[in-house]
Amino acid sequence: MITYKEALTAAMAKLLADDPRVFIYGQDVGSFGGAFKVTEGLAAAYPDRVLDAPISEDAIVGVAIGAAIEGMRPIVEMQFADFSTCGLNQIVNQAATLFYRTEVPCPIVVRLPSGGTAGAGPFHSQSMEALYATYPGLIVMTPATVEDAYSMLIEAVAIDDPVLFCEHKLLYNHLKAEKLPTESLPAGKARVARHGRDATIVSYGAMVHESLLAAKELVEDGYEIEVIDLRTVKPLDTDTILASVARTGRLLCVSEAWPWGGVAAEVVARVCAEGFALLDAPPQRLNAKDTPVPYHPDLWSAHRPTASAIVTATRSLLQA
Amino acid sequence: MAQVPISMPQLGESIAEATIVKFLFAEGDTIEADKDLLEVETNKAVMGVTSPCAGKLCEILAKEGESYPVGAVLGYIEVSDEDARSLGLDETPVEKPRKKEPKRHAAPAAPQQVEPTVKGLPVPAHAAGASYLSPRMKARMSELGLHAADLAGIAGSGAAGRVTIEDLEKFLEDLERNRITPASTMRVAVADAMRRSATRPLATVVLPVRLDAMLAHRRAQAPHKAGPALYGLRALAMALSENSAPAGRLIGDRIIHPRSIDIGFAVEADDGVLVPVIRNADQFVLADLIERYDRLVELARRRRLSPGDTGGSIATITNYGVFGLTMATPIPLPEQTLLLGMGAGQIVPHWDATEKAFVPITEASLTLSFDHRVLDGGAAGRLLRRIAELFNKPEDL
Repeated sequence: MITYKEALTAAMAKLLADDPRVFIYGQDVGSFGGAFKVTEGLAAAYPDRVLDAPISEDAIVGVAIGAAIEGMRPIVEMQFADFSTCGLNQIVNQAATLFYRTEVPCPIVVRLPSGGTAGAGPFHSQSMEALYATYPGLIVMTPATVEDAYSMLIEAVAIDDPVLFCEHKLLYNHLKAEKLPTESLPAGKARVARHGRDATIVSYGAMVHESLLAAKELVEDGYEIEVIDLRTVKPLDTDTILASVARTGRLLCVSEAWPWGGVAAEVVARVCAEGFALLDAPPQRLNAKDTPVPYHPDLWSAHRPTASAIVTATRSLLQA
Repeated sequence: MAQVPISMPQLGESIAEATIVKFLFAEGDTIEADKDLLEVETNKAVMGVTSPCAGKLCEILAKEGESYPVGAVLGYIEVSDEDARSLGLDETPVEKPRKKEPKRHAAPAAPQQVEPTVKGLPVPAHAAGASYLSPRMKARMSELGLHAADLAGIAGSGAAGRVTIEDLEKFLEDLERNRITPASTMRVAVADAMRRSATRPLATVVLPVRLDAMLAHRRAQAPHKAGPALYGLRALAMALSENSAPAGRLIGDRIIHPRSIDIGFAVEADDGVLVPVIRNADQFVLADLIERYDRLVELARRRRLSPGDTGGSIATITNYGVFGLTMATPIPLPEQTLLLGMGAGQIVPHWDATEKAFVPITEASLTLSFDHRVLDGGAAGRLLRRIAELFNKPEDL
């Protein structure tokens, strides 16, 4: 068995082995193995290409952009996605616009350990995908499976544009697979994680698993719920979403991020604009509550969408 | 002492809330059973809320001018223990909510079904009942050229009885087992007009009218005589020339008055009805209209009416008496407020007060179907009586 986290490590090991342009840069990614031990063992094998950085996200991303301009394929690790805002200027003003301004590609990957875990609180739980997705020039990936953690990270490094790679911390050790994949869907293509008939749940990251649990529970009521895993939130695979809504007539979009201007809002807006005639009920979204992420595990469970909250939202959608 | 709650009663089938107009008693007043305690106003009427029992009005929770859902506790009546026992109440005080809290959202039990989200809205805002058509249903229906009326025969299996896309597809599949023929263009056009017209609240008033004078007049005019419908048409035109307001159309909050007294008349044609028009029918005497009328009937039956011969009329007459029908409630054209109908003449006994005997007379029903938004039974009745009066003086027509 291989975990989501081990798949990420394996992907980076393969990238380092296959391509001398690849290097890993971030705080304590070296001999310490990273805040979540995702780079564990890599520095021993590639001491010149797994480099500890000073505690400045701004400088880290700036260095990576410079290296990319010079032809390297850097992988930056943020300790927590939350801290990436300290490097926001480099990411959104420099990396995102570089090719537009100069026609020089900026193939950097910024790994963002994302999302909530019990007791992590407001600075170590945030989901940043909507923030980065709003900037033209960035690609935002949100792998939900062990297979995607592996294959999408390899693809992220191959892409010539800057990629924000939102790996979910809750999945690091819990999610396991038999083996690493040998093939995968391309970036920008969503996956039908479960086929259904009565409603479509669109989700990504850890919420895919909550949605699948909810779908399983609703089978007892006689409902067959289709679950779509977006995989990449930018670009957004509108075709797969609309095709699913055409089958089911109902849409719930579930996201662990806040509701305002988020991925769920974007999905709902696109379905309303392009697929209004497919709908049997007003499309709904289920997000985290519009407050900072709470520390207390009970509050945290109430703050984020859970399988039971998704069941409730889906039931009311089915009755609408 | 026990306390009995005064609740907002169910004031009507579709009423979810009502506004307090005023309390007729003050806290501390002694009140009798079944007497009005307060007045409430719904979007339909002002009504009284009666006291459930005799006692002392001990507490008023509701505020005047505020709206409360059905079932909300508006106040309490204090009753003696003896009365409480006779009312089947326990002597233990009724548990009541904390004093003076705004009770706006205090509807007990099943707020899911009736919880108005807009003040004064009489039906549940999220009602998704039989008449609800989702965008998907609408898209499918427009693809198939169907209208809401076509779905009338489907018992919906969806939320609150709404018709789902599966219900529709199954219904259409079942239809395929029947013999199916295409509807004619004329049929589809009539169906469209009737469906549009029936979106309005329509009503009909009826008046029996003696035909003897008209029949005698007709006999005297032979061989070049007018049909009974033309007498009706002329009577209608004259009545409307005196007062055209009843033929006005209500569009939004404005009445659109007729420009001229152009009256249509229904002619049965193959698989439908055509309505040619006599323009300015108030300005020509009956005898001058006969030729025009006959020519239009002829053209209509041959389906040769030109566009100028139809449309733009302000009211229509239909002589369903030709089918042997004595009374009908036909539907006015969608762009018209009035439809005058004539039933078949019948010989009936009539009590003659001077002869003190029944005498045979010929009588028929005149009906006036109308858009109830524009006029009421009284105005429609006055117009119909005026038409009957004119009808009975055929020499003036």
